[in-house]
Amino acid sequence: MNKSREEILKDVLNLLEQLAQDWDYQATVNEGTRIFGDLGFESLDAVVLGTAIQEHYKQQMPFAGLLAEIGQREVRDLSVAELVDFIHSHLDRQGIS
Amino acid sequence: MRTLLIGIDGATFHVIDSLIDQGIMPFLGEFCRRGTRSTLRTIIPALTPPAWTSLMTGRPPGHHGVFDFFRLESPESRQIRFATSHDVGCETIWSLASRHGKRVFTLNFPLMYPAPEINGCVIPGWVPWKLLRFACYPSNLFDRLKEVSGLNPRELAMDIKLEEKATEGCRDDEYDDWIRLHIRREENWLRAFRYLMDQEPFDFGAILFDGVDKLQHLCWRFIDPDLAGNLNDWEKRIRDLCLDYFRRLDQILEELCQYVDSDGQTYIASDHGFGPTQDLFHINTWLEKNRYLKWADTGSGGHDTQPALLGVGQVARHTYLMDWDKTRAFATTPTSNGVYLVAEKEDRNGSRYASLLSQIREGLLDVRDTAGERVVTEVWSRDEIFSGPFENLAPDLTLVLRDGGLVSILRSDQILSKRPNVAGAHRPEGIFLAQGKGIRENTRLNERSILDIAPLVLHSLGLDIPSDLEGEVPVGLFGEQWLQSHPVKMGGTTVAQESRQQSEPVMNQEEEEAVMERLRELGYIE
Repeated sequence: MNKSREEILKDVLNLLEQLAQDWDYQATVNEGTRIFGDLGFESLDAVVLGTAIQEHYKQQMPFAGLLAEIGQREVRDLSVAELVDFIHSHLDRQGIS
Repeated sequence: MRTLLIGIDGATFHVIDSLIDQGIMPFLGEFCRRGTRSTLRTIIPALTPPAWTSLMTGRPPGHHGVFDFFRLESPESRQIRFATSHDVGCETIWSLASRHGKRVFTLNFPLMYPAPEINGCVIPGWVPWKLLRFACYPSNLFDRLKEVSGLNPRELAMDIKLEEKATEGCRDDEYDDWIRLHIRREENWLRAFRYLMDQEPFDFGAILFDGVDKLQHLCWRFIDPDLAGNLNDWEKRIRDLCLDYFRRLDQILEELCQYVDSDGQTYIASDHGFGPTQDLFHINTWLEKNRYLKWADTGSGGHDTQPALLGVGQVARHTYLMDWDKTRAFATTPTSNGVYLVAEKEDRNGSRYASLLSQIREGLLDVRDTAGERVVTEVWSRDEIFSGPFENLAPDLTLVLRDGGLVSILRSDQILSKRPNVAGAHRPEGIFLAQGKGIRENTRLNERSILDIAPLVLHSLGLDIPSDLEGEVPVGLFGEQWLQSHPVKMGGTTVAQESRQQSEPVMNQEEEEAVMERLRELGYIE
């Protein structure tokens, strides 16, 4: 079983929209939404989000590595599009168990 | 409900008995008179994650694999991550009861995220509120809870910025709101409990209240009956607020117990006790001054400038703060009181490892204050206290401080200093209370082990006790007639959950160091 980037984007937007309804977040979540800057995530929230995504796909992914990559940037944040790309590349590489 | 298990994190008879005597917890006083009580000795170390995991599995940490809120990525890694339910290497009582067809719910217990699929409902504890929706089982439970009148999911779950105040302290003007939040949080858990019980019948319910631990950490000097004299007006007001918390908790306990069947049983247990602490033992500074640890040149003088005392929010900074070419031992979290030795896998059975272990242990046991009194009372190697399949993930050495406090991992000029105020710290002696059909009234048992709770719950549910549990049913709890009609039956073994350790992504050392540097820059580990 494999998933296209579009399918993963749909999954992630659905997941974040479900969560956002509990946070009083008014704007629409889209590919450009920033996890820390817009959604107000704390670092621990991001770690647990990574766990939730791994649970959803039933597959381990190197989320610590993703956070490491973010730290090298001038603006230390992660867009939904980048999160989707990360998941896509790892599902592609390892397949869905 | 046949069996109700109520966890009260950090409850100690030293405080509880005083509150009963003052009339602040009348229900608990009546519970004691109508039931049986004993001191409940916890596992080593007396810390929340391994202790509750031992209570809910009936196994010690070397077997269930939980030693701290965090765990090493792998036995040879210096990196740590948050521990999850996948790291619990033994079957829990809720899974075991489910496997035997019992309907079960468990509320607010740690190490339950991601929630296991049991025959019932799970709301895990220690989960950030923003993600609670995906933490609950079954998946529609969160939406159902949101509809419950008065239930605020945001205050049900964890807010890490608020949690940290318990051990690191807070400003005087923050105490009031912080204590009131814990009262509201326990009320939220009551509403969740009430909702589930109103929906359908359950055989076994378990609920954990963690406000006692939080209040006692921060407010011990107002709560401890030995210290609560000579308070100024502000301190009296804070003490009164703490007492309001306990008064409300007593009312909540009374309501919970009304849901137990007339032929059912209620058990109340804590994961550890509590006592005063004021020492700050800077373990990494001691290691440095004894040439086991070398700080890297960080360009800032290397000293911690933040107001933190222990470094709870700075776990994992060791990965970039230390010179790994010259460091042979380090502490990475204040919450484990553990020291890790830098050693390759193949060295761990060699004489150099044993010699280093022995030198550090002897050195720690000889740490003394200005009066010549020893500061560290016990130092255990991991094979002494964590023997089992997960031993290789445990700290190489685990220490106990004379006042039961947690070590500080922060860099300091001094090895030993004092907190500005007396705080609360864990003690090995927790509480156990039991009441219900067949249980002796107004009885005190000798000290029991936290490992006895799992078999006791299973017995209460009419199930056989798996032979691989290490505790035993405290039969002295029951009247003879009850025991004759409800004998303890042994049978079968537990079923360990499938380990996911092998499928975790593995990084090499260079990648790990890059990751930790970036995590620091993101603010995750600092």
